[in-house]
Amino acid sequence: MIAGLFFLALPLVVSGCGLLSTGRLPQTPNLPDKAMVAGVPFFAQDELQCGPAALAMALQWSGIAVQPSALTPEVFSPGLKGSLQSGLIGSARRHGRVAYPIAGSEALLAEVVAGHPVIVLVNLGLSWYPKWHYGVVIGYDQERGEVILHSGLTAGEHLSSGVFLNIWQRSEHWGLLILPPGRLPATATEEAWLEAVAGLERTGQWQGAAAGYDAALKRWPESFGAWMGLGNSRYSLHDLAGSAGAFRKATLLQPKNGIPFNNLAQALSKQGKRKEALAAAQRAVDLGGPLLETFRQTLEEIKAQPPPKNGRRKKIR
Amino acid sequence: MLQKMIKPVSLFLVFSFLLLDFSAQTATAQMIDTNTAILAQKQEASRGRVAAFLGREDVRKVMEQHGVDAVEAQKRVASLSDAELAKISQAMEQMPAGGDAVGAIVGAAVFIFVVLLITDLLGLTHVFSFVNHKR
Repeated sequence: MIAGLFFLALPLVVSGCGLLSTGRLPQTPNLPDKAMVAGVPFFAQDELQCGPAALAMALQWSGIAVQPSALTPEVFSPGLKGSLQSGLIGSARRHGRVAYPIAGSEALLAEVVAGHPVIVLVNLGLSWYPKWHYGVVIGYDQERGEVILHSGLTAGEHLSSGVFLNIWQRSEHWGLLILPPGRLPATATEEAWLEAVAGLERTGQWQGAAAGYDAALKRWPESFGAWMGLGNSRYSLHDLAGSAGAFRKATLLQPKNGIPFNNLAQALSKQGKRKEALAAAQRAVDLGGPLLETFRQTLEEIKAQPPPKNGRRKKIR
Repeated sequence: MLQKMIKPVSLFLVFSFLLLDFSAQTATAQMIDTNTAILAQKQEASRGRVAAFLGREDVRKVMEQHGVDAVEAQKRVASLSDAELAKISQAMEQMPAGGDAVGAIVGAAVFIFVVLLITDLLGLTHVFSFVNHKR
């Protein structure tokens, strides 16, 4: 009973910071007083089409020539009379762009300063009478206390930061960056960036994914996930030698993890390097873990392949 | 009667075929995708974090004060699935005192969290839905 009461009290403690809304943008000493993202086109939205319009603005800024109407079938859910956040993310990926969610006003300002427009989800109504809306933040001005955004029918609307923070708060300060894969967010964390780039893999955007992992490795050269991703992307792009190189690097970073050895074995085997492939596959099996069954299958498959004849490489599919 | 049964049975069949198809795919495609690789790494990390948390001296003391056997608690944590551990680890990250800071004083919320986690593990309470109760 007492324990139950304590538990009820816990969420209040955890979310306590959310109650302290000052109605002003955070003052960050490292950031300039005002900033504006150049080159973000404006599309006036059709009725209910704020999602496709906001995404089209961000995509065009990122170098993809696309009109809002072309995005509607990918983004808009007619039954909901609106667009879901996941719809925007999925559509951005289909166009080879990394969709990177951010949260909070500090991240928002930092991204604007870095020259990245931010799609924001705001609730123009109240929590019990919601009017959800997407806009694109393109600038801010601390002195005048304003946020500047493309929204609805207004290009470059100047909104008081107090109002903006109130309507943005209701989406828990949800923002979305749409970036070319080679361009890291100013507030990027390794984990979140890798997750965002891996999303490109699921839509078969291997070229973009490889560029995203490359960008990750420039910032975090020892990133195991980025080396794995690079290996997988290169493999899918038929760059087998490059793929094997990336997986090898991953095995050096995590020598007790069977996963990179398994993939290395695949890449080597496809190149016809049977002996090396067998050694890597065996290593994966020896290391074991939850994916042991897959490792075993890899080993069996490579064993079952006949050794290549001298001087002849296995043809790459 | 038959009419009533058709829907659940066909749903069941659909799902079993889906599963069949899935396992057939994993049996041939043996490249492990990036998501799985990242996830495996994350799971390893959260397992380590929770174990390290329970191994801390101050946390141990809290457990002792409440008559909880630290070794038993560790064993139960080891029996949790990856998803369950990820949830605990996530909850630990959100705690105000921070679960990682070595030597940090166990704050009130952390204290409650630990006690509830332990009592859950021991089957005395049922606050965290992700804790498996040993019978």
